[in-house]
Amino acid sequence: MPSSQPLPPKENTLFKRILKCYEQKQYKNSLKFAKAILTNPKYCDHGETLAMKGLTMNCMGRKEEAYDYVRRGLRNDLQSHVCWHVYGLLQRSDRKYDEAIKCYRNALKWDKDNIQILRDLSLLQIQMRDLEGYRETRFQLLQLRPAQRVSWIGYAMSHHLSKEYDMALRVLEEFRKTQTPKPYDYEHSELLLYQNEVMRESGMFNEALNHLETYERQICDKLAANEIKGALCLRLGKMKEAELIYRDLIARNPENHENYRRLEEALGLSNDDARYNMYKQFRSIYPRAEAPRRLPLNFTFGDTFCQLIDEYLRRALHKGVPPLFVNIKSIYKDKEKIPAIEKIVLSYLESLEKYCTFSPADAEKPDYDKEPPTAYLWTLFYLAQHYDYLRETTKALKYINIALDHTPTLIELFVAKGRIYKHAGDIKESVACLDEAQSQDTADRYINSKCAKYMLRANLVKEAEEMCAKFTREGVSSMDNLNEMQCMWFQIECAKSYQRMHNYGEALKKCHEIDRHFSEIIEDQFDFHTYCMRKMTLRAYVGLLRLEDVIRYHPYYFKAAKIAIEVYIDIHDHPPTDSDKTEEIDTENLTPKELKKLRSKQRRAARKAEEKKKEEEKAESRHQNKNKHDTEMDGPKEEELVPEKLAKVDKPLEQAIYFLKPLQEFTSHLVDTHLLAFDIYYRKDKLLLMLQSIKRIWNIDSNNSRLHFCVCRFVKAVEDKKDIADAVSSVIKQELKKLIGDQDMKTFNEEFIARNPNSLEHIIAGAQGKYVYSNSDSVIDLITQLGDNLEDRNLQNCTEVLNLLCDFFKCESAAEEYQRKCHELFPFAAQFAAPQEEDDHPEESKITTKQANSIPS
Amino acid sequence: MNIRSAKPEDLMNMQHCNLLCLPENYQMKYYFYHGLSWPQLSYVAEDDKGKVVGYVLSKMEEDPDDVPHGHITSLAVKRSHRRLGLAQKLMDQASRAMVECFNAKYVSLHVRISNRAALHLYTHTLKFNIYEVEPKYYADGEDAYAMKRELTEFYKDDSTTYKMKRNEADDRDGDKGKKKGRNGTDSERHIHGDKCGEKCEGSEETKSLKKGKKKKEKETKDNGGKDLCCECACKDHHHSDTT
Repeated sequence: MPSSQPLPPKENTLFKRILKCYEQKQYKNSLKFAKAILTNPKYCDHGETLAMKGLTMNCMGRKEEAYDYVRRGLRNDLQSHVCWHVYGLLQRSDRKYDEAIKCYRNALKWDKDNIQILRDLSLLQIQMRDLEGYRETRFQLLQLRPAQRVSWIGYAMSHHLSKEYDMALRVLEEFRKTQTPKPYDYEHSELLLYQNEVMRESGMFNEALNHLETYERQICDKLAANEIKGALCLRLGKMKEAELIYRDLIARNPENHENYRRLEEALGLSNDDARYNMYKQFRSIYPRAEAPRRLPLNFTFGDTFCQLIDEYLRRALHKGVPPLFVNIKSIYKDKEKIPAIEKIVLSYLESLEKYCTFSPADAEKPDYDKEPPTAYLWTLFYLAQHYDYLRETTKALKYINIALDHTPTLIELFVAKGRIYKHAGDIKESVACLDEAQSQDTADRYINSKCAKYMLRANLVKEAEEMCAKFTREGVSSMDNLNEMQCMWFQIECAKSYQRMHNYGEALKKCHEIDRHFSEIIEDQFDFHTYCMRKMTLRAYVGLLRLEDVIRYHPYYFKAAKIAIEVYIDIHDHPPTDSDKTEEIDTENLTPKELKKLRSKQRRAARKAEEKKKEEEKAESRHQNKNKHDTEMDGPKEEELVPEKLAKVDKPLEQAIYFLKPLQEFTSHLVDTHLLAFDIYYRKDKLLLMLQSIKRIWNIDSNNSRLHFCVCRFVKAVEDKKDIADAVSSVIKQELKKLIGDQDMKTFNEEFIARNPNSLEHIIAGAQGKYVYSNSDSVIDLITQLGDNLEDRNLQNCTEVLNLLCDFFKCESAAEEYQRKCHELFPFAAQFAAPQEEDDHPEESKITTKQANSIPS
Repeated sequence: MNIRSAKPEDLMNMQHCNLLCLPENYQMKYYFYHGLSWPQLSYVAEDDKGKVVGYVLSKMEEDPDDVPHGHITSLAVKRSHRRLGLAQKLMDQASRAMVECFNAKYVSLHVRISNRAALHLYTHTLKFNIYEVEPKYYADGEDAYAMKRELTEFYKDDSTTYKMKRNEADDRDGDKGKKKGRNGTDSERHIHGDKCGEKCEGSEETKSLKKGKKKKEKETKDNGGKDLCCECACKDHHHSDTT
């Protein structure tokens, strides 16, 4: 459709030059030609020229002017598809996809068959998952360009994605018929496999199997073809065929565990002896394969297990396989296997010391071979890790130290020693070990990363940053480089570190950076919409779309969101004050403990101020760097994350909800998600949402310890609240009845405690519940018990008790007493160390708790 | 450790493993680019919890003047999981897929000349040969050896042959491991540096993806506007619209 403002030939030539220059990124020239048109008074309002001028400016980073010109252009020529298209492109460059879609639709009103606009529109529609719109647009494109391959594929896929399988398959089949495959025709092969995938998704398993068999020769991805075929045969009960396929797949890759499981299924092996025999066969067919030797250790017991583990351990210790322990660690889930393993390895050690063989019997054989000295070393190494797993720190240290005396240059030993100290709660010592390890091999990034991670656990952020800098690009701060490279493990550990130090601004900055990585990863798919259709990698593409739909399910997002929510809640509970009032406090009236707390707070503040200053300097230099690149930047500029601003947020709970939403959507199977939700809604005083969170936890784990405290707080909140609407009140009553029956809260709580006498976690929750309803004296006795009956009397839970005594129950004397008792139980843990020892690091004492107990990755 | 072909959802965990182990890192998009261009060519090794402990990320070189061949973009095994033969197993799986899916004749890679551990793995265990030194290949100015391995052995499409070959290779390696073990532990940390990273393979596309921010425009240039383009695509389209 012609423009409503046609240009005469001379100006029209100029306009075409604008387009050409724009396309070739000669933005200055483009503006020059635009000027040439616009300075002519007759055409100073020429809409399309104005719009193009704006679009050009956008590419030069002059965003505000860009919008100005594009809008002016559009106002002057509302019937021009060019103006609308340009406006759409501008919005798209700012990632305002919904707005851009509207613009393209307007553009199409004036030029309904414009292929380019339709294509652009389809990209936005699939990006935004407007599946209905996408289908319509793909239909138009197919009608307009029926000769193009992409038209067919796109149309078929639009149906597949909206689960209209019949149509998708019909289109794909029509298209397939037009193809003549060449030898090694990868694209054709991918098309066939995609077609097959749609068949399977629609439940046409027989057809899919036939399809696969018919076109087998044309499919180059033999692995996928066989895996699909195997699964289909199993599904259709063709066990003989399935068996052969899985035997082939195992031959191809004897380390794929799934294939063995499927083969067991095909063979109908139900008892463990039969299973074991199958693996035994594979062991002789593939003597070097790991899986057939490792997998039976999972399901065998008793004598068979002992015999197998004995063989397995000997072989590995003889050969010198450092990851022996990590390789079989998961067996330790079977508690009864642990003593068996322990006994065997201890017997090796004894025999190796005396005879240099794994057992005295070996030494009696006439022509026996002595084991290499390394066998002794690896045995010690194994035992150290074994006792560390059991949290028998003293024994673990004993063995690792003997090993270090034996071979002081083996890095793995330092790493293991560091881990032992970490688990025992002495993070400072573990940093020292890792530092030693990394200094012995500075070219190994893995050791470097581990060392930096431990430093972060010890709240040594600056040191960790310097450590990482050895492997990040020179000339950029390592923080920035790690952010650019989306190094999320570092950012999460860093955020936790700041959280522990109550440096909330920095902690939040890290959380937001991680959140932005996820947004960026969602953005990343944009270019692949066209790319994959051309490359024909359609299965992978559909896989990508489905992954992107749920990308924030990833544990990294969960971790970042959890920290952010906890921090925002704490900011809500303790809103920042403008000036630090501590100086005015009369220090004379404080107890020594309070004074100590105050001092540490002041130190913290000083450190914070220093950090802030540094941050400002850094921001300054960053800013300068940025300016250089501004002209080349694409995508919208993101608001800079300033820690001070983040910490002074107006509505922290709203921010917390921003992080909560994806958790509720993607990780609703996790109790933690709903605990966090409860904590937010509790503060927002939203009864029904609190109830909802409680019910969700209940459905996952009705005896969850933390759930109990939620229920207690909820009931209290209901009691305290006046004027609840009748409808709400009756819902609450009804639901509460399901949760606590007819008991009063006191009985409910007592019963809960009585029901879980051996669980410290439950005792903690019971004590907290009790505190809500009665006085605190009996609570202290309850919570400070440390009897051997407690199954979860570990560092993490005891640390939590200590923290509760200080912060929640506010009982100094009990805390000191408890700390003393715990020190006996956990002599290495810094948080329980005698006061004079911990004086220098008051914050660190309460910290490492949760992490310290988790098994390192 | 379980070894299997990588799926799109593995790519983020491969990135994590890469960042832990190697100095040469890439943004997620570059992993997507591999996973969506050559979905068959990347493999992961995972532990019992499903954590990625090693991976190989590879691609096909699209050089019209040469026979089809694969290229290892990145290979890493966590230090905590070395000496299990994972690197070799990952490489063999990826190489076989290169042959089957893309008719690759050989596979190439780059390795830092200082990385003796990796060099040892590639020359002795995996039978790669050095064919060139690329000066200043890495961002920090280090040279790289360009290495190649012929893939003819994977052309015998008979699985028994495959089996046999595998076992021979394993035996060779097994013997070596034994000797090394006997030699004492001092040298052990040097024999299994399964890493190979690279700067930018001389291609604009890779370079831009590595650098990040400026990626889109450069990709377009490299692929003649055909592939992975976004910004330029709409410019092109716009052009053809209005003229």
